[in-house]
Amino acid sequence: MAWRYERWTADHRLPIGVVQRPEVGEHVKAGDVIATGVGLGSASRLLGARRIGVPPGDLERALRVPVGSEVRAGTVLARTGRRFARAVTAPGDGRVVHVTADGDLYFAPIVDHWVVRSTLDGEVTRSDDARITVEGEAWCLPGVAAYGPDAVGEIVLGVESPLEDLAPSRVDVRLGGRIVIAGARAVPEVITRGHACGVAGFVAGAAPAAGLRLVFGAGVSAAGAPSRDDRPTVLCLMGFGTAPLPREVFRLLTTLAGSRAAIHTASARLFVFAPADAADAPGDPLQVGLAGDYGGVRTISDGCAGAGEVAFPSELRAGALRCDGDVLPAANVRPFARAR
Amino acid sequence: MTVSTETESPVEIGVGLGTPLRLVLVYGHRESSRRAAARIALASCAEVRAVVPADDPRSFAELAQDLRDAEPDAVLACAADGKDVAGALVLLEALRLGCAAQRPPPRVLALGPDGVVERLRAAVPPFALERFAGDAAAVAALRALRRGGDEGRALREELIEDAARSLAASTAADAVVVDVSERTTSCVLARVGGELHAAHVGGLGVGEGADRVVLHAGLDRVRRWLPWPIDAPALLDRVFNRARWSGALPATEQALGIEMALAREAIAHVLRDAAYAGLDVAAMRAAPTALVTGRAASFPRRAQTLLVFVDGLEPTSLTAVLREPDEGRAERVALVASLRAERPVTLRLAHATGRDDRRVEPGSFTLAPVSGEVEVSAASGELRGRGHAGALGLLIDARGRPLSLPPRDAERIPVVAGWHAQIGALPSAAR
Repeated sequence: MAWRYERWTADHRLPIGVVQRPEVGEHVKAGDVIATGVGLGSASRLLGARRIGVPPGDLERALRVPVGSEVRAGTVLARTGRRFARAVTAPGDGRVVHVTADGDLYFAPIVDHWVVRSTLDGEVTRSDDARITVEGEAWCLPGVAAYGPDAVGEIVLGVESPLEDLAPSRVDVRLGGRIVIAGARAVPEVITRGHACGVAGFVAGAAPAAGLRLVFGAGVSAAGAPSRDDRPTVLCLMGFGTAPLPREVFRLLTTLAGSRAAIHTASARLFVFAPADAADAPGDPLQVGLAGDYGGVRTISDGCAGAGEVAFPSELRAGALRCDGDVLPAANVRPFARAR
Repeated sequence: MTVSTETESPVEIGVGLGTPLRLVLVYGHRESSRRAAARIALASCAEVRAVVPADDPRSFAELAQDLRDAEPDAVLACAADGKDVAGALVLLEALRLGCAAQRPPPRVLALGPDGVVERLRAAVPPFALERFAGDAAAVAALRALRRGGDEGRALREELIEDAARSLAASTAADAVVVDVSERTTSCVLARVGGELHAAHVGGLGVGEGADRVVLHAGLDRVRRWLPWPIDAPALLDRVFNRARWSGALPATEQALGIEMALAREAIAHVLRDAAYAGLDVAAMRAAPTALVTGRAASFPRRAQTLLVFVDGLEPTSLTAVLREPDEGRAERVALVASLRAERPVTLRLAHATGRDDRRVEPGSFTLAPVSGEVEVSAASGELRGRGHAGALGLLIDARGRPLSLPPRDAERIPVVAGWHAQIGALPSAAR
């Protein structure tokens, strides 16, 4: 059972244009800004080493501003000589993006700013221009796919039972900033309405794939679509279509309701920041089964027994399991949340 | 996996899919560079994460961001002459900006004249640049990356290529092998002279790669093969569930039908990629012998494998079809006679039990229950040859090429259901 309290790692990938990031060893909390940066416009290439008459390898020493710094128009970027000085100046307000191997400079205007927030309480274990890794303890529930940006907020139950779907009419501004447990199915009406009301994210057993395409674009895949832009956040725990959550998992979510939580979309995980003894993790490994027609995923509550080799309606002969009175191919039954 | 060198003598080989390899393609202004890059990517079964032509219109920062998001394991740069250098240098600078902090860093593989590659080498640090003289060496290097250091591991595509070579050698004619698995799809043509045209697309299949088939082909192209009505959202849920459930088995006829539809479109997609890379797709379609392997060969009925092969590859001549499931022996399935006639044609069949003249109507799709070696000739002269009829007999496919299906469900579903029924491809579609 992967729904447990443990030490976890979360990677946060950074866009180009980092301005500030934490040091390794720094402690952060979920929701804290761990990196800031700027969005860059169309970059122009400036003659660097050739302009100031130094070998390409010596340009770094002649730079008057570090690579990555923000400068005003006319700022001297690099300069050599005293009486007959030769200099490279900034053509506009912007940022020195990159120094090429042959000693030129890429300079780009700043078009927007971005921030990346931590999705885990813990310690920074890696920090460079490409990613920041945070390691910390939390309750974690892995899902099958997540869509949208990372989300942080307080967990709130949107439904009263795991079999229920969250109705659009139950989504309003009072859920703003929260991570809402949407039951068996998060439909696109709920997702878009929630986004409009400021809901941080939705966690559901499943979401209709066609609905996800409507909300996140036709290019989304079953593997999820992490993004950085202003979109809703959805975590599908079991599959696509409809998938009632196992009662044990729903009970645990009920116990942890009100706790701070985060959805890490790149790895499709829900982290809940509550003490280790705040709840008891389900003891028995829960199993779920993919329907024979692939139409849905369901919880197997009473366990499975071997049924030998069976000829299914598709005429396929394969090892089967008898689960809750239904015979499923053994390959279609697996633990609820496989460890990631 | 069992791959045989002949139809009756399987050989047990330890095989793995290899580590998925994220590849970025960079190529110069010449068509030959583009084709070389595409050909190497297809032969190495890499997952192409980004394609960057020398005249890429994206800004420097956008390019660097896209390369960072692609997180490539390797970058393949194909440059033909000095004209490509300036463009390629910009792309390599973008790679330095985007991926300098990536761990492990991407490897840069370059194909091109010595002088050109040397000029690129200066822009590559901190990454290492390896120059390759030809396609084969670059493919070998990329496959070595996919082995992840385990030199003893045989990659699935290598076995498929061996099977194609063996089949061509044993039949003394061109042979094509079509493999559709959970997450890879391959079409390999082996010529009698030993030449190989290999297209392996990673991340595309009937299982974990099912959603990629829909992404590439479009949901409607998958849906059109189903012999019953299903609305697009319901189909998409099934495809996505299948994609996240590695190794799942279709227990119902509906699920099996979806896998068959995905397999057809996966094959068609590989052929499109192969044509883009300049591989001889016409020769693949005209090969007199074809072997189907992987999940497409493991469908419960031979007719299901046959239908997927015929609809996906769209053979254009007389083709003897064999299949070899991952866990089974090779078997002869059928002989396919593909006709493009726009008027009725008389087909003369000569087989062990006698001679037979059959009138073939344009658009028809029928299975003639003959057995053993069959000599087939069309009175129009369009088709002539002989082959083994296999377990099912001679499939006469006069639907034309390219195969077109009616766009409206009400017209298409009876047609597709009829094709299934004609060859007994689904239990519920009785002949």
